[in-house]
Amino acid sequence: MLDYNFEWSILWSQTYGPWLLKGIWTTIHLSLLAWVIGSMLGLMVALARLAPYRVVRFAGGAYVQVFRNIPLLVQMFFWYFAVPALLPREMGRWLNHEVPHLGYYCGVVCLGTYTASRVAEVIRSGFLAVPKGVTMAALATGLSPWNTYRHVTIPYALRISMPLLSNEILSCFKNSALTMTIGVMETTGMAGLIDSFTFHGLETTTAASLVYLAITLCVVAAFARVEKKMRIPGLMERSN
Amino acid sequence: MIEIRNIGLWYRKGQKILDNVSATVGEGSTVVICGPSGSGKSSLLRCINGLETFQEGEILVNGISVQNPNTNIYRLRANIGMVFQHFELYPHMTVTENITLAPMHVLKISKTRARQKAMELLERVGIADQAAKYPGQLSGGQQQRVAIARGLAMEPALMLFDEPTSALDPEMIQEVLEVMVDLARDGMTMVVVTHEMGFAREVADEIIFMDHGRIVEKGNVQTFFNHPENERTQQFLARILR
Ligand SMILES: Nc1ncnc2c1ncn2[C@@H]1O[C@H](COP(=O)(O)OP(=O)(O)O)[C@@H](O)[C@H]1O
Ligand SMILES: [Mg+2]
Repeated sequence: MLDYNFEWSILWSQTYGPWLLKGIWTTIHLSLLAWVIGSMLGLMVALARLAPYRVVRFAGGAYVQVFRNIPLLVQMFFWYFAVPALLPREMGRWLNHEVPHLGYYCGVVCLGTYTASRVAEVIRSGFLAVPKGVTMAALATGLSPWNTYRHVTIPYALRISMPLLSNEILSCFKNSALTMTIGVMETTGMAGLIDSFTFHGLETTTAASLVYLAITLCVVAAFARVEKKMRIPGLMERSN
Repeated sequence: MIEIRNIGLWYRKGQKILDNVSATVGEGSTVVICGPSGSGKSSLLRCINGLETFQEGEILVNGISVQNPNTNIYRLRANIGMVFQHFELYPHMTVTENITLAPMHVLKISKTRARQKAMELLERVGIADQAAKYPGQLSGGQQQRVAIARGLAMEPALMLFDEPTSALDPEMIQEVLEVMVDLARDGMTMVVVTHEMGFAREVADEIIFMDHGRIVEKGNVQTFFNHPENERTQQFLARILR
């Protein structure tokens, strides 16, 4: 190895420790906000893709294709650089100069809309896995199509989708690192910043990696609990 | 009670699934439908509660035309219970919740009242002790009895059964048939697709034999079993009563 003096203490030094913590906190709330948008919007897009109206189905399908197939990094740049430029001049200027943390909001929207396109596909496949006979049985009792959706099809489909949804929430956390490219000082961005002040990039990168690992392990544990609670007794436990 | 008048049904453009089918089911009577697989029995049942759209003819339930655009199809369905070959219970809900869902959201009965009702029905089909379980934790025979209770919870005037015992292990068939026999004796109007000829002999007021989307034989138990006229019926009976 080269001459490199590891100095781990910078990670909890008075100056840089709080920076790192701030970065971690940003990662957490940015990802969670994006996940809220992603899961809600994703459910709606999934419903749109299965709607009885062709136009609505088409719109849902177009949404998925657009947001899923453009690289996330390109989408980040689009929201941050292109959107303010495409808006009317006054509005663009206001966004660029008057809105603090514009990158943060762009990052949330970008990650949220991207996650939604992936969530929509997962939930849609869950819907397609609901046996037709079960839906028919609910309709046969006189329930309206909406009540059938609400009480039978949606809860059933979500339970089927659970294992794959947990992958998406993990991706959401990991993808949040890309927001550093539009100036968000989340964990990765902060690690870079500390490096540029201290030239101790190895320590900060290691710390960042461990932070992501810790966060994703927490998410996995939390999701396992939710999954267990939502598992359909006698139906899914046999297959595991 | 049910008046089926010359109905014709196609799926898409292809082959005719139901061809000029007519039948009457009187109040309180039990009609058994049998026939080979693919002859259109399930399709016919689905036409009766509007789960299938037919292109010709008319079906009246209690004088109300099923496909009339002015008919409130949800209210009509609420009055018709349906039991399926594969039970089709809601697997994410407990037995009680399966039974109370429709009464609470269609009839707007209070939760307490609906649960009370569910317990009475579970008592009646003999599985009150399973109320808190999930469908996946029950045997096939128990699931089918839950499905029957779910149908009865709406206090329907009419029950449709689509091969309710075909998916069951032999030792469970009897427990389901017993419930159905009791229902028939209590005066429920029933249309039952089944190949259980013992059941038919016991409670059927009329037996209908279908083949290739048509009714080829229709009669009471006596004439159907002892003097079937149609050759296909004779063959079918010979095979099934062996
Ligand atoms: N949803 C559907 N779409 C197209 N064809 C169907 C559909 N449902 C049933 N069929 C066809 O209609 C015919 C009658 O089916 P069905 O009513 O299920 O008969 P049965 O219940 O007597 O076995 C069969 O040939 C079947 O393949
Ligand atoms: Mg059938």
